[in-house]
Amino acid sequence: MAEAGNEKKPLVSGFLMSTQLMELDGCTRCQECMKWCPTFDVRQDRPEITPMYKIAKFRELLGSQHGLRAKLFGPKPLNEDEINRFTEDTYYCTTCGVCGTVCESGINTVELWEAMRPNLVARGNGPYGKQSFFPGLLGKDRNPFQAKQEERLCWVPSDATVLDSAEIAYFAGCTAAYRQQALAVASVRLMNALEIPFCMLGKDEWCCASALVRTGQRKVMKDHAVHNVDALKDRGVKTVLYACAGCLRTATVDWPRWYEGYIPYKNVPLSVYLREKVRSGEVEWKRPLNFKVTYHDPCHNGRHLMHINGRDWAYEAPRDILKSIPGVQFEDMARSREFQRCCGAGGGVKAGIPDLALDCAKARMGDAQLIAADIISSTCPFCRRNIMDGRAAMPEKSDIKVVDVVELMTAAMGLDITIPQNSYSQFQEQDVIVCDEDVCKVETIERKAEGKDLVGEAH
Amino acid sequence: MAFYTLGLTFGIVIALTVATLAIWIYGLYFNFKKWGMGSTGYQDELRNSFWLFIATWIHQAFKDGVWVFVKTLILDVLLLRRTLRRSPIRWVMHMTIFYGFVALAAMSGFALFMDIIEHFNLLGLAHEAEMVKEMMALPFDIFGYLLLFGATIGVARRIFLREVRSRTSAYDVVLLGGVFLITITGFYAEWMRGNAFLVGDVFSYPIYAPHFALLHTILALALFVVILPWSKYMHIIAAPMTILANRGGE
Repeated sequence: MAEAGNEKKPLVSGFLMSTQLMELDGCTRCQECMKWCPTFDVRQDRPEITPMYKIAKFRELLGSQHGLRAKLFGPKPLNEDEINRFTEDTYYCTTCGVCGTVCESGINTVELWEAMRPNLVARGNGPYGKQSFFPGLLGKDRNPFQAKQEERLCWVPSDATVLDSAEIAYFAGCTAAYRQQALAVASVRLMNALEIPFCMLGKDEWCCASALVRTGQRKVMKDHAVHNVDALKDRGVKTVLYACAGCLRTATVDWPRWYEGYIPYKNVPLSVYLREKVRSGEVEWKRPLNFKVTYHDPCHNGRHLMHINGRDWAYEAPRDILKSIPGVQFEDMARSREFQRCCGAGGGVKAGIPDLALDCAKARMGDAQLIAADIISSTCPFCRRNIMDGRAAMPEKSDIKVVDVVELMTAAMGLDITIPQNSYSQFQEQDVIVCDEDVCKVETIERKAEGKDLVGEAH
Repeated sequence: MAFYTLGLTFGIVIALTVATLAIWIYGLYFNFKKWGMGSTGYQDELRNSFWLFIATWIHQAFKDGVWVFVKTLILDVLLLRRTLRRSPIRWVMHMTIFYGFVALAAMSGFALFMDIIEHFNLLGLAHEAEMVKEMMALPFDIFGYLLLFGATIGVARRIFLREVRSRTSAYDVVLLGGVFLITITGFYAEWMRGNAFLVGDVFSYPIYAPHFALLHTILALALFVVILPWSKYMHIIAAPMTILANRGGE
């Protein structure tokens, strides 16, 4: 929150493009965003957190400094209480982007929120709550878990093949490397089984730094973007595969903004790459998975990337995989694809306003309950973590499990996804598939130790 | 000449119109300059430049090529595709207000031009100009009714839909109330003249018709042209420019 003397600091100190300032006047106040906003849905008493109100407030604040009245009589002194309230409203947002999808004026809301926040950080009003730990953690440890970079690959099974350099790289991400290792093991097993030669960055894989961009704290961002891109280039990589939607979004949209040079590789969701293997007949299913499965579209892979990667990559690839698995009965939730309801974790909300993240997750669990799903699958470890937390916080116990698409595929292919014992085994917290011959069930692994999770996962 | 009453002359009306347009143009410049305060790219410094805003907008709008720009202009700006996808009723409201307003504004400008020709008998075309103005009566009525229809939906929506009503602010009321008031006064001025489209001479009151017509003209100039750059009216300019800059949005 703001320090003394802030009233003299400007409201806008860069970071907002001129066309974004124009967008503030482009809002027609049709209220459509309010119907879809996932945080307003669980905080109905706070309309000021919705896009329409935030835009109106920022326009008003901007007008007080640069409007006609300010031009004629001078700007009004900024009221710090007002700015602090606006800051809170701005951070009560998961930057899911559904408001931009339904906006009649075509306002690019995700970019707008992410451009507003650094201005508030520069004034000393932002970030919010524990989000302020992110720059320190990433600057020091290069991951948000205070884990050792040298142990990034401690989960790799001894009989798995991971090359030092190759044309294909698998970027696991911090959560899969340290907290949801079942996903990382499944990804490696799958690629080995499909004879895909790939490398990993190991200790050179730094956090994608999504949390920094999302929360408006851009200072350490450049180090991470440049380091990761250079590390991938050094290994001669041409295709980078991601099983984490947050890393994928950041690598696709944000890293190129910070990297001054040619980026020779393309970023591909692992689900898209694996779907091609399914289509080409290289995947051999060994056992059916007799579950009713639904798919939760991560915002970062869906709405954030659909205008770049197209709808097929964003929405259909994971669904196609799920539908191709024998035994799986697939059904979409009422809100899916570009109209999906955010799990509530993104935009720094999980770290900054955890109770809001939980309430959003509970709402998403409610969507899955309506169609009586057995499993919510996704391609984002961060969504998975938050939906599991929402499940645990529900007043009535729910049997719905949350499993990544890659893990479902690995189980159906009959591959061993046992996680080797390692320094982070006690911090594992996830639903895992356990198969006995042809019968598979999903079990929940409870965390055995708290770990040093100051801010939980970060996207 | 029905408009020129209460001591107003043709010259005064023309002067007022020019002054109003000048304020309007300055208002647009002021807003563009305000937007131009922003940066021209991601993580960039503030610029404070009218011209750099124009350059940034052009760069954004044409980023995906001319074809995408044209497609967005037709589908999303002229046909309001994004609104239609979300709410057919709001689409009808916006389309009727938009086309009613644009057509009436264009025809008003043209009628003023005819007035000038008639007044100064330019090229000896005074009679023809008067005839053209008479021929414009029906289109004026049609587009007026279109605007009235849309404005009525807008006002009704704000009054009768509880959720919409509760979130309506003065910012919205100035816009919709203004549109509604201008439309109604325009019609009433026409009706007072008698022999009006659809209503005949039911409201005929020719003595006061010029006064009402003047009131309508002043309201139109004041609300639409002077206030436009300083209120929600600005979305008429900013929303299409936003859609084009974002190539149709997501």
